[in-house]
Amino acid sequence: MTKDIDYISKQKFMEELYRYKKGSVTRRHFLNVTGLGTASAVLGAAVPLLRAGPAFAGDIGDRVVLATWPNYHDPANFDAFTELTGAAVQVNVFGSNEEMLAKLQAGATGWDVFVPTNYTITTYVGEDLIEPLDTALLPNYDPTAYNPRFAEAGSVDGKLYAVPKDWGTTGYVVNTDHTGGVVMDSWKQFWDMARAEFSGRGMVHDYQLTTIGNALKYFGYSFNSVDTTELADAEKLLIDVKPHLFAISSDYQPSMRSGDAWMSMAWTGDGKQLNTDMPEIVYVLGKEGGEIWSDYYAVPKGAPHREAAYALINFLLDPAVNAKEVLFHGYPTADAHTNALLPESLLNDPILYPAEELLSPLEFGAAVTLTDPNRAELMARFKSA
Amino acid sequence: MTNTPLDDKQDQTQPRVIAELRGVTKRFGTVLAADNLNLSIGEGEFLSFLGPSGCGKTTALRMLAGFEAPTEGDVLLDGAVVNEIEAHRRPVNMVFQHYALFPHMTVAENIGFGLRQMRPRMAKGEISDKVRRALDLVRLPGFEDRRIWEMSGGQQQRVALARAVVNEPKMLLLDEPLAALDRKLRKEMQIELQNIQRSLGITFILVTHDQEEALSMSDRICIMRDGRIVQIGTPQELYDQPISRYVADFVGTSNFFDGTLEAGSGAIAGVKLANGITLGGRPVGAIAAGDPVSLSVRPEQIGLTRKQGGAGALPVTVRNRIFLGEHTEYLVRHETLGEFFVLAPRQSELSEGPFNSGEGLFASWDATAALVLTRK
Amino acid sequence: MSRRIRNFLLLAPAGAWFLVMLVLPLAVVIIFSFGERGPAGGYVPAFTLAQYANLPARWAAFRNTMMLAPTGTVAALVIAYPLAYFLAVRVSARWKMTLLVLVIVPFWTSILIRSYAWIFLLGGRGIPALLDLIGISDLRLINTPFAVLVGIVYGYLPLMVFPIYVSLDRLDKRLLEAAADLGARPWAAFVQITLPMSIPGIATGCMLVFILLMGEYLIPALLGGGKVFFVGNALVDLFLQSRNWAFGSAVAATLVIVMLVTVSIYMRLMARLGNGRDDVSLM
Repeated sequence: MTKDIDYISKQKFMEELYRYKKGSVTRRHFLNVTGLGTASAVLGAAVPLLRAGPAFAGDIGDRVVLATWPNYHDPANFDAFTELTGAAVQVNVFGSNEEMLAKLQAGATGWDVFVPTNYTITTYVGEDLIEPLDTALLPNYDPTAYNPRFAEAGSVDGKLYAVPKDWGTTGYVVNTDHTGGVVMDSWKQFWDMARAEFSGRGMVHDYQLTTIGNALKYFGYSFNSVDTTELADAEKLLIDVKPHLFAISSDYQPSMRSGDAWMSMAWTGDGKQLNTDMPEIVYVLGKEGGEIWSDYYAVPKGAPHREAAYALINFLLDPAVNAKEVLFHGYPTADAHTNALLPESLLNDPILYPAEELLSPLEFGAAVTLTDPNRAELMARFKSA
Repeated sequence: MTNTPLDDKQDQTQPRVIAELRGVTKRFGTVLAADNLNLSIGEGEFLSFLGPSGCGKTTALRMLAGFEAPTEGDVLLDGAVVNEIEAHRRPVNMVFQHYALFPHMTVAENIGFGLRQMRPRMAKGEISDKVRRALDLVRLPGFEDRRIWEMSGGQQQRVALARAVVNEPKMLLLDEPLAALDRKLRKEMQIELQNIQRSLGITFILVTHDQEEALSMSDRICIMRDGRIVQIGTPQELYDQPISRYVADFVGTSNFFDGTLEAGSGAIAGVKLANGITLGGRPVGAIAAGDPVSLSVRPEQIGLTRKQGGAGALPVTVRNRIFLGEHTEYLVRHETLGEFFVLAPRQSELSEGPFNSGEGLFASWDATAALVLTRK
Repeated sequence: MSRRIRNFLLLAPAGAWFLVMLVLPLAVVIIFSFGERGPAGGYVPAFTLAQYANLPARWAAFRNTMMLAPTGTVAALVIAYPLAYFLAVRVSARWKMTLLVLVIVPFWTSILIRSYAWIFLLGGRGIPALLDLIGISDLRLINTPFAVLVGIVYGYLPLMVFPIYVSLDRLDKRLLEAAADLGARPWAAFVQITLPMSIPGIATGCMLVFILLMGEYLIPALLGGGKVFFVGNALVDLFLQSRNWAFGSAVAATLVIVMLVTVSIYMRLMARLGNGRDDVSLM
């Protein structure tokens, strides 16, 4: 348990880095596949420390409920928060944005803080499920420290609803032992290889947003297209590729590691982990573009512990705390203050921080991409084909 | 059957031996279930194994059926050793204790089961003919399509019987077939079983712990105890000439007076009872002076009178009187010998009139009617 | 009066459970199935048959399910029956309990963890690697219909074994002696006595497995690599991904109807097989 939360020694840094390399950073794959719903963990809820430190002004209650993704936080930071404020952090883990949205639509979640992805925020605002943030309660939030690209989705109609957490990309991982020296750098190669040399070895996500989006990139269409003729092209490609696929699954790490799969769509953190453990597996961003995404902290309407919610977000935005978070989960942050505390090797990592010419063609997912019924039906036809 | 053999050795006078046990011993682990059984069964005979539970009678039957193989010795059917022949290959059939009817089949399907197993196959029409005749035999005509659970215990018993006899076995084995029936039904079925046996001429082997059942139906009874055959004989032989107190106790009712055999020779021996009285009786089998013995006197052998009798007469008091119609049963008490039963025929009652409870009487019997039996 | 109150109190928990856990959700599903999907997903009240009209869009899922459920049931039966027979008839009383417990032990862990074990076993480093050593190379097991079948048989085996075991264990051994006594060879006795007498167990086991298989989604998703798509998978996607509650409800309601129809046909069939015996329990 870390007592000293303001300072990270060099040795501590190396320990954390080692842990980060070993730790499993996974997202959405497990719960998404199983649809098992909410797995929840209570951290320190049983022992709310009554000796709340004087560093924090005012009583914020004994708990705060956070809805987030698996392995996306350093538990030590929550312990430190509890010690500081007396509020225990109760974590609800989710598998997909859709599931989070479904829960909030159904109402009475009991959540105080949740972690939506960029393309869902306008939907939450439209459905009146999210409250505008009071920046006065977030002294650690410095808008100028963020690359606007990863922060702008937090504001809708000039009102701030969410503050940036981390960001990442959606590319693919490929095992270079099997590529015969061919350099993979495009989605065209991904889909063509999947039907040819990599027949029976390729994987796509069990997620319409990325699977259809990246199929659209084969034709050079927008990742977010809802144009029916463009979607028809993507569908033809997907149906054509399907018999050659090893699996349609967002849980691709085990198959890549075992050697059953040679190529799979992948998110940043998984790509980094696979590459760290098996250097022959490389993470590729298609030169045609693809998805870039950004996660945010937000407060749902009617949060039962509103004060604690702001206290928790503010705490996690503290660059020293955030740096530890990044070391734990392995996703990049857009906060310049935090990056200043991170080791050079991490900042130069091409998987976490790709070159600008690879980043620029990437698109953020759009709200309509997620909710378009035609894309949902296309995915169902693809899976049942 | 009038010419029933007195014992095993006289079997050659019987028409034909159909089954035989030769020195058959059966062990289940350390338990000795059957101990050196020797027995010949004649064709058409009705033989019963009688004894308490655990005496080995069922084991003997199961070895004849083929469900158990003997540990030592031989089981013979029709002169051939069948120790290793499985049950389904033996030309014998069994009526099981709880009938073991097939609940998922109709009455006709149950009865025809054995016929359907025959190879070459029997024609369907022939099977149904035989089933119908078997149902007639057990007096259940028209019951073909009934379900087993729709029938009473007595009816199920008849179906079980029909299912076995329809196969015309060389030998029919009956394992406590009437145990589950009530008394009245049991009486009826005893007569019916005898009639069926007579009309079919099949050898019946019955296992029972009910002496009345064995006595009323059997040509011969094989009394068993602790895995051994104690005595084989006709019901009358067993009743009149039991070789031990065990047999006398099992066959019919008797009064027993325990004592030790006194020295002496001749047809009548003295038995010195615990209270010092010596009573005379006819010694049976190999017993020597000083052996623990029982003097066995059947209740009907004892006479009661109000008059002061001879030297041997015992003074008794009437405790209970049970009127049985043709007979009256008295429970009487002697001061030192204790209580014993007396069965008085109505005739004797007529001469002296009924004796009342509490009345003082004299009991006496002919010493030749009293048997001196080993208590072993 | 007090008796009525007591009966009411005794039945109240079961009645409440039945109402809250079964009737209400079913009612919600039926109401939703006549509604519409909101622009951002969810449910908008309406009365339309549009969702039912759209059912052909999930025809493939229904077709796959109607193939998988009977196939999986039969496969489980074929494996489970000899096992149950062995346990009930052949094994000595001393070993029975131990072996029975071994049959259930896998049920003590979550199906998820057990399925992951199969992912490894059927994956390239598992059984195929072993077979490779004896010359059978390049065998692909994981993410095939075969893997799904293996997972189903494995996952549902105890549900099939136990009812059959019970019916065989209860079978009066004297009936078999009677059959042998009447001249039936062992195989003939099995076919004419043991098998028909175990129909209640077979029926119960098949029904349990069949009904659960109709809603199965986890095993196809994990061991079929998501390439095999059943109604269960369609429902998960409709509710958790595209959040089309109205259509999802229509699919769910249809699944319930298909199940009811199948089960009633099956029950009638079993009743006929059991010759109207009252001891043929169907559930």
